[in-house]
Amino acid sequence: MSEGLLRTTLPDRAGAALRDTFLQQALTIATTKFIDLRRESFEGFPQGEALRDRARAIKEATLQHLDVHLERLADNVERLGGTVHWAATAEEAREIVLRLARDRGVRMAVKSKSMATEEIDLNEALEHAGVTPVETDLGEYIIQLAHEKPSHIIAPAIHKTKGQVAELFSRELGGRFEADPEVLTAVARRALRQKFLEADMGITGANFAVADTGTVVLVTNEGNGRMVTSLPRIHVALMGIEKVIPSMSDLVVFLDILARSATGQKLSSYTTLVRGPRRAGELEGPEEFHLILLDNGRARQIASTLREALYCLRCGACLNVCPVYRQIGGHAYGYTYPGPIGILLTAMLKGNESVRELAHASSLCGACKDVCPVRIDIPRMLVELREHLDREKIAPWSERVVFHAFRRLLLSPAAFRLSARAGRWLQRPFVRAGRLRGLPLLLGRWTRTRDLPPVAARTFRELWKELR
Amino acid sequence: MAGRAEFLERIRREVAKTPGLFGASTAPRPPRPAAAAEAIRRELAERWPQALDRFRQEFERVAGVFHRVPDLAAVPDTIAAIARERGVRRLVTWDPAILGFDAGARLAADGCAVVAARAGQEDEASRLRHRADAAAAQLGVTGADLVLAETGTLILLSGAGRPRSTSLLPDVHVAVFGRDRLLESLEQVGVMLEDLHVDPDAAMSGAMINFITGPSRTADIELTLTRGVHGPKEVHAVFVEAP
Amino acid sequence: MAAPVRASLMITCLGDVFFPEVGVAMVRLLRGLGVEVDFPEGQTCCGLPLFNSGYHHDAALVAARTVELFERAEHVVVPSGSCAWMVKTEYPGLLKHDPARRAAAESLARRTRELSQFLVEVLGVTRLDARFEGKVTYHDSCHLLRGLGESAAPRALLRGVPGVELVELPGADQCCGFGGSFSVRLPEVSSAILDKKLASVEATGARCLVACDAGCLMQMGGGLSRRGSSVKAIHLAQVLAGEGPR
Repeated sequence: MSEGLLRTTLPDRAGAALRDTFLQQALTIATTKFIDLRRESFEGFPQGEALRDRARAIKEATLQHLDVHLERLADNVERLGGTVHWAATAEEAREIVLRLARDRGVRMAVKSKSMATEEIDLNEALEHAGVTPVETDLGEYIIQLAHEKPSHIIAPAIHKTKGQVAELFSRELGGRFEADPEVLTAVARRALRQKFLEADMGITGANFAVADTGTVVLVTNEGNGRMVTSLPRIHVALMGIEKVIPSMSDLVVFLDILARSATGQKLSSYTTLVRGPRRAGELEGPEEFHLILLDNGRARQIASTLREALYCLRCGACLNVCPVYRQIGGHAYGYTYPGPIGILLTAMLKGNESVRELAHASSLCGACKDVCPVRIDIPRMLVELREHLDREKIAPWSERVVFHAFRRLLLSPAAFRLSARAGRWLQRPFVRAGRLRGLPLLLGRWTRTRDLPPVAARTFRELWKELR
Repeated sequence: MAGRAEFLERIRREVAKTPGLFGASTAPRPPRPAAAAEAIRRELAERWPQALDRFRQEFERVAGVFHRVPDLAAVPDTIAAIARERGVRRLVTWDPAILGFDAGARLAADGCAVVAARAGQEDEASRLRHRADAAAAQLGVTGADLVLAETGTLILLSGAGRPRSTSLLPDVHVAVFGRDRLLESLEQVGVMLEDLHVDPDAAMSGAMINFITGPSRTADIELTLTRGVHGPKEVHAVFVEAP
Repeated sequence: MAAPVRASLMITCLGDVFFPEVGVAMVRLLRGLGVEVDFPEGQTCCGLPLFNSGYHHDAALVAARTVELFERAEHVVVPSGSCAWMVKTEYPGLLKHDPARRAAAESLARRTRELSQFLVEVLGVTRLDARFEGKVTYHDSCHLLRGLGESAAPRALLRGVPGVELVELPGADQCCGFGGSFSVRLPEVSSAILDKKLASVEATGARCLVACDAGCLMQMGGGLSRRGSSVKAIHLAQVLAGEGPR
């Protein structure tokens, strides 16, 4: 679903989501909960606003010397006995993992939640190569069993009822489990515990990587991040290049706001700092540590429109407040990353053509910018993307004609007045009880569900003659 | 390393194209981390009672269970009580030399089996045996290298005699600490981390640092909170009063 | 005695063509407060629809024209948060390649205010002579709330009208689903967002829904009317001028 462009249209996918009553309920409940949790958390956190400014500044400052920090990170990881791999594309990244798995005789890999691995379609590639990837984050485990994609950046199975999960577990794992989250969690714990202990390889993403020390940082709640990086003999971390930060002093600034923005927690249950493979004195830990640095379209944005999108911490706060996401959910966006930031990330990873519809999946309300921990100006970049779509002639020809005509109208008061008079005349068949209904063509999209006020019998300009 | 030079060069080129969006700096770093860390320890030596109160409040807020004992000698009894209440029969602990107490005898008296990690036993056979022990244990006992009051967090360094799984695989995790571990804020944690990494191989024998804030949790099914997904279902913190 | 305040109206395209009664109410309101009002002929639109859809070259042409039209205005008053935002925030950037025009745009930005901000910041209005009976509830339009940082002035003004009982709208800060062309590009989504908003509105028991943006009023008014709701969507200016809904 993620390689190449989609065959379905956004309005169709959105329509399907709107008609899915359970999804509608689930989205309202989940997003409202996340919004309330985040708000409560920041209300009791007066230093929050200053921290957001600092976090934003650290991300910007890091980008200004990104190559230096990445080089430092790589040198430190290698000094610790880890191996660094450089993946310019998704394909290269997949190849690196597959080659490692092949060379090390890996048959089963346990995975901690990683959007980067979703982005490169790693699971599919592993399966084709005869390696079994096992998602261990409960939400990811659920959707893996269901052969679906995540619908939210941090709560991947938000769209599934507990009944659906019970049915799924019963079918896939054998047994009859009741639709009780406690019971189902215990089922997953048992099933996955074995996998952790038997797996040959652990695969994670990275929330941050500290250049100064060569440390990869994972922020999780379940404990799978710790299992996957301590039990199997090989640990592979896949990381977008924008995740590097210079020092531990920078790290704690982000730790202070990340969990609050995502779930309203002060800190997630586990923050795990991984400094290479296990050391000589350790009983546990991987023999090998591999860090794959992934570009996949990111570097190109350093000097371009979507630079700010590189600050993203993947907290999901923008999804929760977006009126569009709240209505249609993650799958309707069609690509790996949904929601407001997802539109920008999709353009980054797949090019402007891929967002010819998605760039307009926004009312530009600005709620996303309000909650972003690093104050990314998403609406501004959406408008700039729309500008690119026009300039690169990706926007449909019919649309461009309409807007150019509109421009002419706005530059000529005479034309503007004339079209108001024409509108007054043309609307007559459609006026019912002082409202416009049943309009044709483009305006029909409005009047299908809403009335329109008619063009006034006298415009304000016409009335002004009497008012002056 | 064929890819590295090319990869970095592409980034260098892009970075050179633009001054960036605005003048920005990264977080200020302590110029002398050791001195800064020492200064924090001195401050906390005075303020530890308030820090402890705050820790207790935050720890309980994330469903942690707090205990307070007069001295290290009293710890094994506390652990035994927890074990009895939870029907625990098998325990794993960090090396008693690191913990400052050995719970083995006291728990054996209750019919429990205790396996203690020992620094210096890192051959393959020991590894396999330890993994089996940790997987079978129902309760794990560790120390806590730093304790963060602001968030109710236990910070554990892995290494010789302090395995990662002790605080991860069993259903119950018990962490024992004294006043000298307490910190007030994440910012102070940042300073301590800077200090630890000045000469990391000297300061730490392991490759992992874990921040633990309450039990393992998820809300992935209909946003209903459940505990003990993969990690422990319960976390206990035992504060030892005697300095 | 101080010289009277002179305000030039920027009526907005939607205001001119679909909601002239809002303009009329504004004129009445401002004159009642001793303001001299004028209306620069030849105005059409601030260009926001062009800008939001990415037609920046076109939007810049419209901006240049508008800047010139309002060159001599002492104060520019706009009955729309989104249009005021466009002028204040985006005009200087759109005209950045022409230093003279850019300077003129910055000057216009400083002189332009959305209506409620003008009333409170320039005129210091706290109470009004108008009367209005009944419960009203207020919707924060996105550009006024987040773009211009204004949520207090409209509420304070509403409370300053004798007879008004202002009920807070749950989710007042949530988008109504208009978003300009968004409302016809993704009409189903726009309508679903609107339904949520209107459910909140009806639950307040208010007689009138007040907003400071023609776009929001078109969207919400259009939805209320289609449902046959007794709630009327009206502009802040109309309440402050003591005019009930039609």
